[in-house]
Amino acid sequence: MNVEILIYGTINSVSLALYALGFAMVYGVSRLPNFAHGALFVLAGFIAWTLLNSLGLNYMLSALLSIIATAAIGVMIYRFVLIRVRGMEISEIIASYALGLAILEGLRWSGLKGMTYTLPVFMEGSLQIGAVAVDYQRLLVVAAGSALVAFLYFFTHYTRIGLALRGMAQDERAAMMLGIDSDAMAMAAMALGSTLAALAAIFLLPLGNIVVEAGYNVLILAIAVCIVGGLGSWAGAVLAAFLIGFAQILTEVYLGAHYQMVVALLAIILTLVVRPSGLFGRQKELEERV
Amino acid sequence: MAAEQLRKERIDRGIKVRTEGIYALMSWRELLYLIGPRFLLIAGMLLLPLLMPGMYWQRVVSIVCIYALLALSFDFLAHFVGLVSLGGAFFVGTGGYLAAILNTSFGLPPILTVFLATLLGAALCTVLLLPCLPMRGVYFAIVSLMYPLLLARLIEAMNILGGTDGIMGVDSFPNRWIEQYLLIAVVLIFLFGARRLVNTDLGLVLRGIKDNDQAIRASAMNITHYKALAVFIASIMGCLSGACLVHIYMWSGVSQFALDFSILPIAATVIGGSSTLVGPVLGCLILVPISELLRDFGTLRIVSYSLILVGFIVFRSEGLMVYGQRKYHQFERWTRI
Amino acid sequence: MRITVCLAVILAVFLCLTGAGLAAEPIILGCPLPSAFLYGWDAERAIILAVEEINANGGIKVGGAMRPFKVDLMDSRDLEPGVPVSEALLALEKLILDKKADFILGGPVRSEAALAAMPLLSKYKKVSIVTTGVLTPKYHALVEQHYDKFKYCFRIHGEATWLINEILTCLIEIRQKFGLDRVFIMVQDVAHARASGDILSKVAVEKGFKISGMEIYPTGATDFSMGLIKAQKTDSQVLSIWMDMPESAILLKQWHDMKLAALPFGSTLASAEQPGFWKATNGKGEFCMANVVNAGNAASKATPWTMRFYDAYTKRWGIEPEGLGCSSSYMAVYVLKDAIERADNLEPDKIVTALEQTDIMGVYGRLRFDPKNHQVIPGFDPQQGAVGSIIQWQAGKRMVVFPKSIAMGDIQLPPWMK
Repeated sequence: MNVEILIYGTINSVSLALYALGFAMVYGVSRLPNFAHGALFVLAGFIAWTLLNSLGLNYMLSALLSIIATAAIGVMIYRFVLIRVRGMEISEIIASYALGLAILEGLRWSGLKGMTYTLPVFMEGSLQIGAVAVDYQRLLVVAAGSALVAFLYFFTHYTRIGLALRGMAQDERAAMMLGIDSDAMAMAAMALGSTLAALAAIFLLPLGNIVVEAGYNVLILAIAVCIVGGLGSWAGAVLAAFLIGFAQILTEVYLGAHYQMVVALLAIILTLVVRPSGLFGRQKELEERV
Repeated sequence: MAAEQLRKERIDRGIKVRTEGIYALMSWRELLYLIGPRFLLIAGMLLLPLLMPGMYWQRVVSIVCIYALLALSFDFLAHFVGLVSLGGAFFVGTGGYLAAILNTSFGLPPILTVFLATLLGAALCTVLLLPCLPMRGVYFAIVSLMYPLLLARLIEAMNILGGTDGIMGVDSFPNRWIEQYLLIAVVLIFLFGARRLVNTDLGLVLRGIKDNDQAIRASAMNITHYKALAVFIASIMGCLSGACLVHIYMWSGVSQFALDFSILPIAATVIGGSSTLVGPVLGCLILVPISELLRDFGTLRIVSYSLILVGFIVFRSEGLMVYGQRKYHQFERWTRI
Repeated sequence: MRITVCLAVILAVFLCLTGAGLAAEPIILGCPLPSAFLYGWDAERAIILAVEEINANGGIKVGGAMRPFKVDLMDSRDLEPGVPVSEALLALEKLILDKKADFILGGPVRSEAALAAMPLLSKYKKVSIVTTGVLTPKYHALVEQHYDKFKYCFRIHGEATWLINEILTCLIEIRQKFGLDRVFIMVQDVAHARASGDILSKVAVEKGFKISGMEIYPTGATDFSMGLIKAQKTDSQVLSIWMDMPESAILLKQWHDMKLAALPFGSTLASAEQPGFWKATNGKGEFCMANVVNAGNAASKATPWTMRFYDAYTKRWGIEPEGLGCSSSYMAVYVLKDAIERADNLEPDKIVTALEQTDIMGVYGRLRFDPKNHQVIPGFDPQQGAVGSIIQWQAGKRMVVFPKSIAMGDIQLPPWMK
């Protein structure tokens, strides 16, 4: 049983990390809670499906185009809506949530209903690890997730834009003093966040099907992971994903699949009570405790 | 030599200046200026059930009042205490379940259950929200958003309190008119009560917490204590609406923790005018009937009201009431400078 | 020229007036259904098809006149997770009070909402026939307990206790044929699924089956790996699945990838009831069995009407009947027409009596209501009662494999189980 817990725990954790990285990215750089994250996830899947089925394009091409399209939509959301409410927390949350709601319900109204919308897996078949067979798509998820985390690390440490994003995340004023444009960086962060959401969609949606409810679930999971990891910290998000991922799997095995979702929600409340800044939160305790 | 420029200038109306302080009693015109809008609101709301063309629209009026209470509590917390509460559903669910339990298990009549459920529910909500009160910022928002989801899952998972079936057989109000006028009266009382509250000493402290909590702290006042008081007041409003909802529909269930109860009050506040306390009520009066009229369009109505919400938040984030107040109290003119 | 125009106008007005006199007042059918969900549009399409057929044949004869049916659909959104049941109740009230619906057909669909709607229906004295979703036995139990209050509520499709009976009988057949007797139960965390899972485990043990485990999944859970592994470790041979959430597709795809040696047997497995299931799972859904509740939802020859309905629906909507409420919604309209014509009246109490005396040969067998609890009387033989269907996905098609009286094919095992 332990091998299975390890394998499926890892798969679950990497999936959670994929969901959460986009949200963590945007919040970390520009302190913008992007509540439209779940909507972008479903939208990316839907665009890929449309390109694949209605236009008959090659799967790789559809995936690539859908990622580019989602990134563009994310940038447009920032440029036309969120930039005007920058700095006003309540308005940011409401505006991004309302947009997410409009996108998701709009998809539902235009026909995304039922359970027959799905994306094909990249590779059929499964690999036998010990006593358990794991399908290639799930292994691909783990590989892709790890590669993505590694890529993000190198991107934010060794490229100009990445360093600029990190600078903005650390201290906005200082970054602006050094000539880094706050709005341009926020748009880059939104683009990156949307790209991450689209990548998550491409890798994780083939496991099931594309439904509007997934948008709401992904949002809740992303928020749970980011809070536990500390709002604004990318390493924290990854670590928290593993914590919650394994907690869910262990709950499934020993307590009952029943309490899966409760674990995620309880984790948030526990974190806020015990250590509000999360695992690696950048907020100093003084700033947030009154 | 500077060129002459035209500039728009906004000045209080003469009558507004004259109605400040004791001079409001000068003549009937000043009194009317002050009383007019308030009287219109009260009379309008009291006449509403009588004007409604059918039983269905009377039911809509009750639903408007329920959402109005929730919107009031949101506006009060967000703009007078600085706590963004995304958990209207939490209050509704707690108040609703308590009322249902008191009615079905203990057999208390609706009037009593509403009263008890409100107080008990408010106490329960405040206690549950206590851990995140010492923190500021976005934490309260997230916790209040998560609580209804968590409670809903817990009730489902542990199959208590009727589980997913809910609690049926709750008594309804003895009379249709009592149902409506009780709600309208409650909304008006809480509306004017809240407006009075924010101008008292307590209200001043709460508004101080929103503006600069360190200053309040430096005055040797326990911030958590005052925030808890504010949350208690807001949850009284929320639990009251939940208890009334349960008696209107004679049933209580997990879907009382639905996100709809969190979102619509926020939309109503934004559209109606934040921080005016009247705005949210007005927003509900606009949003809920429009939502009902658009019901024939199915999911498109959700899309349209989220788009309207985005439009308002981005372009007219002050809301209708603030705009209206400005027009009522001030006038604009071009001056040369 | 001007005179011609005047004459034309006068003629048009004259025709309109007489036309208005000729057009009979329609009987309004209010349908509160969640149109964005399978257990919403299945009923919607079937009801519209039935109404079109009836209206094309002249309508319903009542009170000496032929009156047409008119469908008034209202989106109740009750299957959406974030929506409170009060929305569905408000939709119901709008239909009754504002749109002046004469009868309520179809929903509300979610069991919670349907139960909460019963007092409302009794308050306004509206006859209602529920045709999709609502599987909880509590519905007809409440009618029996408080007959005078809830006598206006009828249900025309199969409910959970009968479904379990069908599934158990089918399992016994499977045991006789293949020797499978260890069952692993996976249910969704909603009222009807949990209750059904509990009842099934008790009754199956009585019939000599072994229950190797039961897992309950919250709505929205995306990971079933541990449950499937548990099933594998306990050598389960049948997976009893009670899930209508879309994530069931993840479960089935993973079942196939893991090559689990257990036959998936679903009930209210919404994803497997749709013809598009095959393509959606890339064929991994093959061998999955599902209980589609009433014959007519999949092709069979239960009665002469079955294939007539099946083909008419396919022609009208361009897709085969899908969802558990299709044939039942279609029959509900005809049953109502029959009751109205027999009572020759629209008054609720008279219609209730007329419905209780219903006895027609419908799409899925002989349709009669139990006069005590207003539940349609089920059976295994279409000549005796309302017959259900259990299908298995074979070669990309839904093949009816149970009951024997209407089966079109045999149950098959996946190749890795032989």
